Amino acid sequence: MGEVKVGVFLSDCGKQLSEILDFNALTNYVKKVSGVVLVARSSEFWRGKGLQFIVDAVKGGKTNRVVVAESLPKLSEVNIVQAVEEAGLNPYLVEVIDLKDHCAWPHRETPKEATEKAKAMLLAAIERAKLLEPIEKLEFPVLKSALIIGGGIAGMQAAVDLADLGFEVNLVEKAPFLGGLAARAGRFFPTDDCAICIQSPASDVKTITHTSRKCVYRSGFSEIPNLNILTNSKIVGVEGVPGNYKVTIEKKPTYVDELKCVACDLCTTICPVEVPDEYNAKLKTRKAIYMRVPNVHPPVYVIDESACKFHDCAKCVTICPTKAIRLDQKSKQITLNVGSIIVATGFQEWDSSIIKEYHYDDYPDVITNLELARMIDGFGPTGGVIVRPSDRKPAKKIVFIQCVGSRDRRWNPYCSSICCMISLKHASLIKSAYPDTDITICYIDIRTTGRQHEDYYERAREMGVKFVKGRPSEVSRDPETNKLIVDVEDELLKRILELDADLVVLAPAMVPSEGTKELAQIGLEPLLDEDGFFKEYNAKLRPTETRLRGIYICGGATFPKDAPTTSLHAHSAAIKAAKFMTTGKIVKDQRTAVINDEYCGDCEFCPVTCPYGAISLVSTDEEHIVAEVSDLMCEGCGICVGTCPLNAIELRHSRPNQMLVQMKALMSINGTSKPLVLAICCSECGHTAVDSSGMAMMQYPANVRVMKVPCTGILQVHQFLEAFRVGAQGVMVVGCKSDGCHYEVGIQKAEKKVELARVLLKEYGIEPERLEMYNMVFIEGDKFAEAAQTMTERLEKLGSLQLMGAS
Amino acid sequence: MKHRKKGKTASPEFYSVVKSRLGGETITLCYQCGTCAASCPVAKITERFNPREVIRLSLLGERDEVLTGDAIWLCCSCYNCQERCPQKVEIADLMYALRNIAFKEGYIPNIYSEFASAILDNGRIVGVSKFVEKKRPDLGLPPLQPTGVDALRKILSATGFDKLQQKKEGA
Repeated sequence: MGEVKVGVFLSDCGKQLSEILDFNALTNYVKKVSGVVLVARSSEFWRGKGLQFIVDAVKGGKTNRVVVAESLPKLSEVNIVQAVEEAGLNPYLVEVIDLKDHCAWPHRETPKEATEKAKAMLLAAIERAKLLEPIEKLEFPVLKSALIIGGGIAGMQAAVDLADLGFEVNLVEKAPFLGGLAARAGRFFPTDDCAICIQSPASDVKTITHTSRKCVYRSGFSEIPNLNILTNSKIVGVEGVPGNYKVTIEKKPTYVDELKCVACDLCTTICPVEVPDEYNAKLKTRKAIYMRVPNVHPPVYVIDESACKFHDCAKCVTICPTKAIRLDQKSKQITLNVGSIIVATGFQEWDSSIIKEYHYDDYPDVITNLELARMIDGFGPTGGVIVRPSDRKPAKKIVFIQCVGSRDRRWNPYCSSICCMISLKHASLIKSAYPDTDITICYIDIRTTGRQHEDYYERAREMGVKFVKGRPSEVSRDPETNKLIVDVEDELLKRILELDADLVVLAPAMVPSEGTKELAQIGLEPLLDEDGFFKEYNAKLRPTETRLRGIYICGGATFPKDAPTTSLHAHSAAIKAAKFMTTGKIVKDQRTAVINDEYCGDCEFCPVTCPYGAISLVSTDEEHIVAEVSDLMCEGCGICVGTCPLNAIELRHSRPNQMLVQMKALMSINGTSKPLVLAICCSECGHTAVDSSGMAMMQYPANVRVMKVPCTGILQVHQFLEAFRVGAQGVMVVGCKSDGCHYEVGIQKAEKKVELARVLLKEYGIEPERLEMYNMVFIEGDKFAEAAQTMTERLEKLGSLQLMGAS
Repeated sequence: MKHRKKGKTASPEFYSVVKSRLGGETITLCYQCGTCAASCPVAKITERFNPREVIRLSLLGERDEVLTGDAIWLCCSCYNCQERCPQKVEIADLMYALRNIAFKEGYIPNIYSEFASAILDNGRIVGVSKFVEKKRPDLGLPPLQPTGVDALRKILSATGFDKLQQKKEGA
């Protein structure tokens, strides 16, 4: 590495700072620090002449460690680091600090004290800079192919986007046909047009227009050249790393050769086995060989293996004119290598039979909204007529029950968000076709929050749909007439009603689709939330990303959604996946954890703790187990460092010795009459809270010194004790909000360690209240200033801390 | 229909008083869906009791109306509502909590007060009727005597029940 030559560049921000801080004193002080070869002062160093000056100093070999005191370092650092890198110095040899918001402005009333604090801050930066090490850029390959799990509208829309962008797309659907819930729903709000309609793929050259949207069967979806559709297939395993996943898929047999079947329908005419048609809510039967509806993909027949008699019958084999039936077809294992994965597994209706008092499982005339959708559909089992399933007579009186199993703390505490609209849509559709139908909707709250949604509510009232505010307690049946009776309190009239009905329609909660849990077991379990849906990385900013690189989620798999939101979600996931794959590589700094094999061994703390699954265990020659960090997956938070009982892990960009010299330097000069406080802040919310208190010129005493760490999760108990040993009278640990840690769990780990350290302090005879944990975000600068003040006053009351053997 | 002057609720903090009582902890979970009212066998036959309304009045701070009225004493503790409540509000237990508060404040319907006296005097809620007294020897049963009254009194005085009851009787 050669000799360390630190260049210190002091910006006075257009003399704003020199009115408070004594810059001559600072310059003279810095000059004397060992290792410093160059000290320069300017009005700004992050652009223009000032930045050129740094670049020239680096290029001329005058300095190989750059310390800059500049305002707004979170902005200026980006510029400085880029320029320094172009000048030929590793960007990790640059240290930028903020003498404005962290010193001059919050201490403007005590300029002398501020100057002394500035000295300590500069010394800390210089000492850290001396120990900094260059960090290399790494490259990892990314395959330009994606796996999309789920062939509903979310999966299909994402597939079109990615295929149009030129990526190889594999779409896997567990059912024999594409379409998901949309294929059964018939119509969607708020457009009232067919549910099974998607954007046109670019490969549809003959008929595509800027605005075209088409039924799946005529969209040319199945003919997109770089789209591989696997229906009747199941994911059985995922291995590998972001950018290069090896996916194993089991394609179950359909017993019909897709390439030979011409959908002539002769097979169904001869097939002797009839079973209830689950797709049509069991209101109809189908044969053991069947096609769902005429306009699905793939447009071929399949054999239901749970119903077919196979070789004992084989009538279809004889009649098939193209010899397409293959009764001996076996399931196939397919292996794919993909760069990214999009999970679009959707949602389904909750099993309403769990609420016994609604009798969904034993009264045939109690049905769900999805079953009603099949009846409304002209293609459906009743040809669009609304009937009582028990006797197939037209249903003249219909009662809807909202919130069946949703907003219910016993089953699904959340509001499923789309059921009010579904019931309003269905009520309106029935009323327009059969105006004399008597419809009552029993609701707790009607929620119509989207664009044009309130119109549905208004239209339903105009059409004469009745609304009763009250959740029914029970559905019973008159044994003579078979009529249903719904007990409900009309709360607005405060009257208990008994509504009679031909048909009761339940609006069940929407829950993760069947198999979600099973699918998650391929390594996605940590992504499930308490309700069983896939959880996004950040609801506000990254709604379709997960904390695992290369894995994206969209549509109903994340929460029940209407069609417009599902589309938005699908496009978002597609663009995120495309962004990840587009260059064919991941370029990433080795700003990661590194294991010291000499100390590491035979414990399993870090792999369990790492929120990104970046640490695995490997056996050594001496039959020890040691940890191994994936530079690709490590996000450089340091939570593993804080967890390791043997100090066997360090972060390359935040080593313990770097932290120690910083601590020592910050505590080496006081300059105030007050007890020194070390505020250890995480580089995310914690540090920005300090920024914002300074920006707003909130005053707190200059004895409070700030040290930045990547995440408070990196801290170990002994470091708190060390802070006291090097001269701190009090220690503040400032991190993100408990549920808002940028590294998932870092703050919770820190909270626990602070708690433990306080117990230890007590054992050592040190007042535990000298150490405290804080959770702050950027807009809480006032909270930081107040906490700094309170901590100072508390320490003044406690008196000076005397440690035996303290340096 | 009762009118209250705009912006004036009697005791806005009443819900927190209820919440702090055993059985009343879940009151704020109520979102007024009415499942309890439609499930209630008492509400089916009289408008004087509606569990949803009792909860609503309590949440709105209509303390006096809840405590001095007879509604809370009409709950027959069948627990149908509690079984069906989608928010897991412990409605039947809540009625006990409200009764306890009411009793402490000296509000108790006479019939309950008579029950209380009967317990303190005989150890029984229902007194022994002449008919029973007559019939028992015929069936070879011994006459019924007050039982366990001392123990009961001890327990009830430890809880302060007897004093409250005396206060009530004196009032």
